[in-house]
Amino acid sequence: MLEVLKFTAEDRARIVEAFIGEYASGKSEIAINRAVEIKRKGRTVTIVDLDTVEPFYTLRPLKNRLQELGLNVISYSKSDTFGLGETGAMLNPQAKWALMNEGDIILDVGYGVYGAQTLNLVEGAYESPYLRIIAVVNYTRPMTNSLSRIKEYIKELGRVDAIVANTHLGDDTTPDLIRKGNKVIIKAAIELGLPVDYMAVDKKFFEIEDFSDLGVKVKFIERYMPAAMW
Amino acid sequence: MQKVVENTKKAFLTGNEAAAWAALAAGAEIMFGYPITPQNEIMHYWTRLAPKYGRNFLQTEDEISAGFTVCGAVQAGKKAFTATAGPGNTLMQEPFSMAEAMRLPLVAIIQQRGGPSSGTVIYSQQEVTLTTFGGNGEGHRIVYSTSSHQEIYDYIIKAFNTAWKYRFPTFVLGDGYQAKMREPLEMYDPEERGIELVKTFPLVGLEGKIGEEREPQHLCNIYSMEEELYEVVMKFAAEYEAISPEVVEYEEKECEDAEILILAHGVVSRAADDAVKALRAQGIKAGYFRPITLRPFPGKQLREAIAKSGAKKMLIAESAYGQFDRLVKQEIYGETIQINNLFMPGVGIIDTDIISKVKSIID
Repeated sequence: MLEVLKFTAEDRARIVEAFIGEYASGKSEIAINRAVEIKRKGRTVTIVDLDTVEPFYTLRPLKNRLQELGLNVISYSKSDTFGLGETGAMLNPQAKWALMNEGDIILDVGYGVYGAQTLNLVEGAYESPYLRIIAVVNYTRPMTNSLSRIKEYIKELGRVDAIVANTHLGDDTTPDLIRKGNKVIIKAAIELGLPVDYMAVDKKFFEIEDFSDLGVKVKFIERYMPAAMW
Repeated sequence: MQKVVENTKKAFLTGNEAAAWAALAAGAEIMFGYPITPQNEIMHYWTRLAPKYGRNFLQTEDEISAGFTVCGAVQAGKKAFTATAGPGNTLMQEPFSMAEAMRLPLVAIIQQRGGPSSGTVIYSQQEVTLTTFGGNGEGHRIVYSTSSHQEIYDYIIKAFNTAWKYRFPTFVLGDGYQAKMREPLEMYDPEERGIELVKTFPLVGLEGKIGEEREPQHLCNIYSMEEELYEVVMKFAAEYEAISPEVVEYEEKECEDAEILILAHGVVSRAADDAVKALRAQGIKAGYFRPITLRPFPGKQLREAIAKSGAKKMLIAESAYGQFDRLVKQEIYGETIQINNLFMPGVGIIDTDIISKVKSIID
């Protein structure tokens, strides 16, 4: 579905979003879906794999597929990795200068441990007036499975501008679980004074389940990551 | 000890996190480790969680020390463990051998990565030989090869019990895919499930006067005489063989009428399971046999599966160049079933790889 681009101030502004959060919280999945969503509006979008610890893994297996969807993908290819070995931590030079690309920038800040700190490696990220740092939270992750743990965790991340509620259990996800988990995440966001941009729900629940009672925007997402086998 | 899992519930985790939580739930008191991919998050999560539950961690200067400090801690009666991979597993063979020699209840989680040497950082099944028979001993070890996050959780809890019950070093053998993959599992408190946690006990510094109130503890990794060592190793071998029937675990599906048996272990067994279902749907009678314990090996059960199926062919699939294959062959010596291989060292095997191979064999 192609949404028509309107010439509102909001639509003309550059989008620079960094998705951060707990290891395996769904950052990459949410980042890809967001990139695809804005690409479908006819915008120019660059998605950046900013995993400095395991730089050859997260988005690499999906690179071709994402390029076919029209995204500019900053991520290593198999041919780029020869000779680099186990580097410990490294930064793709293209990622460092990602903001120099034209159009919108979606940053998938990998590995999770350092929260938004990794963004200091991207030239101009913190200075960009457009930058929004969005924390992805999945209630079924043990470190974020209660109100107090979510709040404690978000506080550890440093700057956070918004939250995406991403409660799921992979193939075992149920609407009840989504509702239960996201309610807690929304409550935590309210108590922290942060907006919940939306809740992400597997598109298999589209037209089956209505989550409007939770009071936040619902985005039905495609699951790309299960295909990311190394 | 503070409860780790209050209410059983499903959680979405990586295998490494499942490992850290399982060790906590099993009551492990201390982890010794040295960083190496793909097991790092076991350490990361353990170090994040341990202070919250009054547990301990020590990062040693290398893997040799990590292994030996586990040897020391268990002698002091502490439920201790380590986790490693690849070259780290190579270095730990010396302490693992010592644990064999002294019958120490050491627990190690191995997340296999590619080899030889530093190989690749994520995946392979190339540490089978090293984990089952590494070191200068006789392989008197217990090795569980897991295939899912639930099994990582279940078998780590079990590994501590096995190690302390039988006093053979016990390994949970995963791999980088299992380490990094995300999938749901049920986290539970073992005691609430009726799993009794085997009590630990010190092996040194015991009460009582030696010779009068108690026998001396012989914790020995060196002997003066060959004959002395011979007696010890023969005793260990007999004890290992005696406990093997109760330790052995395996999984078998659709073997009754199978024309071809597919053997795999660890994460590859998931592909084998899917392949058998797909082949059956296409009218090809395939059977599935998966050892869960690679040491001791379910050799008797595999021979029975061959006999009852009457299968004339077997396919052994592994992400290594014949390490699992060698274990199987030594266990079924004398069987006349034709053995075929799908060796893909260092890369993943999926159902379609197995299906095409099976079709090429039976045609």
